[in-house]
Amino acid sequence: MGRLAHRRSGKAAVILLGSLFGLLCGAPAARAQDTAVEYAVKATYLYKFVPFVQWPAAAFAAPDSPVILCVVGGGGFSEVLARAVSGETIEGRPVLSRSLPAVAADSGCHVLYTAGSATQSVAQGLAAVQGRPVLTVTESLPAAGAKGIVNFVLADNRVRFEIDNQAAAENGLLISSKLLSLAVAVKPRS
Amino acid sequence: MPKLPRIAPLIALLAAIAVLVAGLVMIAYEERAYAVQKTDEATVQARILASTVAAAVFFGDREAAQEYVEATRANPEAQAVAIYDAQGRLFVGYSRDGAEPLSVSLDTARPTRDAGALRVLTQITQADTFLGTVYLQAGIEPISRRLQRYGAVGMLVGMAALVFLVLGLTQRTLARQAASLAAANEELRKQILQREQVEAALRQAQKMEAIGQLTGGVAHDFNNILHVIIGNVESMQRRIAGNDIRRSDAAFVRLTEAALRAAERAATLTSQLLAFSRRQPLAPKALEVNRLVAGMSDLLRRTLGETIGIETVLAGGLWRISADPNQLESALLNLAVNARDAMPGGGKLTIETANAHIDETYARSEQDVSAGQYVMIAVTDAGTGMSKDVMAQAFDPFFTTKEVGRGTGLGLSQVYGFVKQSGGHVRIYSEPGEGTSVKLYLPRLASEPTSEEEARAAQPAPGGEELILVVEDSEDVRANTVSMLRELGYGVIEAADGTEALRQLQAQPRIRLLFTDVGLPGMNGRELADEARRRRPELSVLFTTGYARNAIVHNGKLDPGVELIAKPFSFPVLAAKLREVLERVPS
Repeated sequence: MGRLAHRRSGKAAVILLGSLFGLLCGAPAARAQDTAVEYAVKATYLYKFVPFVQWPAAAFAAPDSPVILCVVGGGGFSEVLARAVSGETIEGRPVLSRSLPAVAADSGCHVLYTAGSATQSVAQGLAAVQGRPVLTVTESLPAAGAKGIVNFVLADNRVRFEIDNQAAAENGLLISSKLLSLAVAVKPRS
Repeated sequence: MPKLPRIAPLIALLAAIAVLVAGLVMIAYEERAYAVQKTDEATVQARILASTVAAAVFFGDREAAQEYVEATRANPEAQAVAIYDAQGRLFVGYSRDGAEPLSVSLDTARPTRDAGALRVLTQITQADTFLGTVYLQAGIEPISRRLQRYGAVGMLVGMAALVFLVLGLTQRTLARQAASLAAANEELRKQILQREQVEAALRQAQKMEAIGQLTGGVAHDFNNILHVIIGNVESMQRRIAGNDIRRSDAAFVRLTEAALRAAERAATLTSQLLAFSRRQPLAPKALEVNRLVAGMSDLLRRTLGETIGIETVLAGGLWRISADPNQLESALLNLAVNARDAMPGGGKLTIETANAHIDETYARSEQDVSAGQYVMIAVTDAGTGMSKDVMAQAFDPFFTTKEVGRGTGLGLSQVYGFVKQSGGHVRIYSEPGEGTSVKLYLPRLASEPTSEEEARAAQPAPGGEELILVVEDSEDVRANTVSMLRELGYGVIEAADGTEALRQLQAQPRIRLLFTDVGLPGMNGRELADEARRRRPELSVLFTTGYARNAIVHNGKLDPGVELIAKPFSFPVLAAKLREVLERVPS
C-alpha cells in the first residue's frame, strides 16, 4: 500500500452521487439498503470503465465481438450487473455479463469483478488472469489484502476507486488519463 | 493648360473613394475574421473541456466536473460554461455576473452569435459513446469597442482620403493661380512695354529740349552779332546809294552785296535754329491753310523743278488755325525740299489738308501732345523713304542724310520746333523704298475770323519825325538801331537800361514811342513798358528780341496787343513796323 499515492487533486475526490438512488446518510440501521445502493453504483461503474480502457487488439475476435464482464462471487451483484448492462453497447460492442464460480485464463473475460467465491478466493482469481488482458476489479477495505487493477473503496460513505496502473500495464491494458484523474489514488507505472 | 490639372480633382476624388472603399472592405474582412477567430477559440476551449470532463460526466462526478468547468474562468471571455448530461439536463456550470443565466435544459441553449456573446455547443464523447454536451458562452467585444479598434484604421483611411482630396483641390487651386499669374504677367509685360515706349518718347523730348537750349543760346548770341553786321552793311549800301562813296567803285558795291547775302543766309540759319529751339518769336495770325498752300504753288514749283509734279488735296470746310504764316511757309518749303531730295529721279509730291481729331488715348501715348481738334497738313513723297533709325533722328538739328554741303540738317528741325511751338504735333510715316509722309497737326483756331489781317499789304514804309526812346543794353546793337532810326528821320533818345529809360521818359514828354529790347539787365523790357504805360498811357511800345524765352512771349505766342520785331531786323521791315505801331491808337 505504501506505493499507493493518495491523490487529492480535484478530480480525485470521487464522490459517489447518492442522489441517483437516494441519500447515503450513513444510517447504520439501513445496512441492507446500503448494500443494494452500492451494488447498483458499482454495476454502473463497472461497465462505465470500459470506454476508458484500451484492450489489445487480440482481446477481441471481431470489431463487433461483445465486451464480457465476468463476476466471481459478490452475492447478488451479478444480477444487479446483468440488469444494468442489459442492451448496452460500447463502441458497437454489446456488453454481456457472466457470473462464474471461478475464473480461468481462458474464460474470455474482459472485465473481472471478483469478491471471492467458495471455489476461488480473490487472490486466486486475480492470479488466474495475471498477464491476461483483463481489467480486474476488486472491492476491499483500505489496508486489506489482494486488490485488482481497479479497487473500489468506500470513503465518506461514497464509492470511490483506486487504480493500479502498473498492474494494468502488466495485463496489457491502457487506461485513459481521464479515468485516472477520477481515481482516489493511482499507483503509477514503474 | 494640359488636360491633367483639369481632371486632377476628379482623379483625387476617385482615389479618395477607392481608399474609403478599401478601408471599409478591410474593416468588414477584419470583422469577419474576428468572428471566425472568436468562434474557433470558443470551440477549441469547449472541445478541450469536453475531453477533460468526459469521465467526470460519465461517472456523474459533479464535484470534479465543476472543478473542470471552473478552470475555464481563467479565460476572461468565458461568460458562462455548462455541462449537460447525455439526457440534456444541466449537470454543472457557472454564469458570470451580468451574463444570462444558464438554462436547465439543453433544448434552450442554442449555438448562436449576437452583438454581445458567442455560444457554442460541443458533444462529450468517449470511444464513440455520447456522454453529454459542453455549452460555452464567450463574450465578444461589443461592436463599439471593435469600431474603436478599427478607428485607427478608419482614421488612417480617412486621412489618406483627405490627403487625396486636399491634393486634388490644391491642384485645382494651383492651376487657377497659375492661370491668373500668367494673366498678371502678360498684363505686366504690356505695361512694361508701354512704359518703355513712354520713356523713349520722354527721352526723345528731353534730348530735343537740351539741344534746343543749346542751339537757342548760340543762335541768340549770333543774332545780335548778325544784327550789327547786317545793319552796318545796309548802312554802307545806303551811303553808296546816297553818293557818299564813289559810285564808280562797282567792286565795292558787289562786295557789300555779297557780305549782306552771306549775313542774311546766316540770319536764316539762326532763325531756323531758334525755330527748332522754339524760341523764335512767332507772330501767329488766323490762317486759312488751303489759301496759304495755294499761294505757295508758284514757289513750290520753282523749288521742286520740272521733274516733280505737285498734287494738292485740299479738304473743304477746313478749320482755321492760328500760326505764324512765314514760319508755316518755311516749314512746308523745308518739307518740299526734303521730298525733292528723296526723289532724285522725279516723282510726285502730295500736299493734303484735312480736319483731324487727336483723342485722349493717342495723346496719352505720345509725349507732349494734347487731345483736341487740329488741322492736318500732310506732305507726302514717293521717294526713298527712311529707316527707323533715321526716322528717330530726323528732327535732330544738324542731322542730315544728304551729302556734305547740300543740307544744313536744320530743315526738319525747323518744322519740328515751329509745330511744337505752335502747340501742334508732327509725325513722320516712312517706309524705306516706299516714300515718306510728314503730317503736321496745328491746333484749330476757335475764334471767328477777322478780316483785318488780310488787307495788310507791305507798303514801302516811309520814315517819320516822332521822337523815339531806344532802350538796348548791347552798345553795338543800340548804335546800329539808332543809326537806322535817324536815317528814317526819327528823333532818337538812347537808354541802356530801364531805370535810365524811365528817367528820359520823364524828362522828354515828346517821346511818342518806346522801342525796347525785352532782355534787359534789372528791370526787363516788359516791366519797363508796363511802368511807362502807367505813366504815359498814350505811349506806343515796340519790343524787339532775338530770344523769345521771356516775359512777353508765352508758349511762343505774343500776348494780345503786344508789338514785336524780331532781331535781326532789316531796314524796310523796321520802317514798316514803326509806322504800323505809331499809327495805331494805343489801347
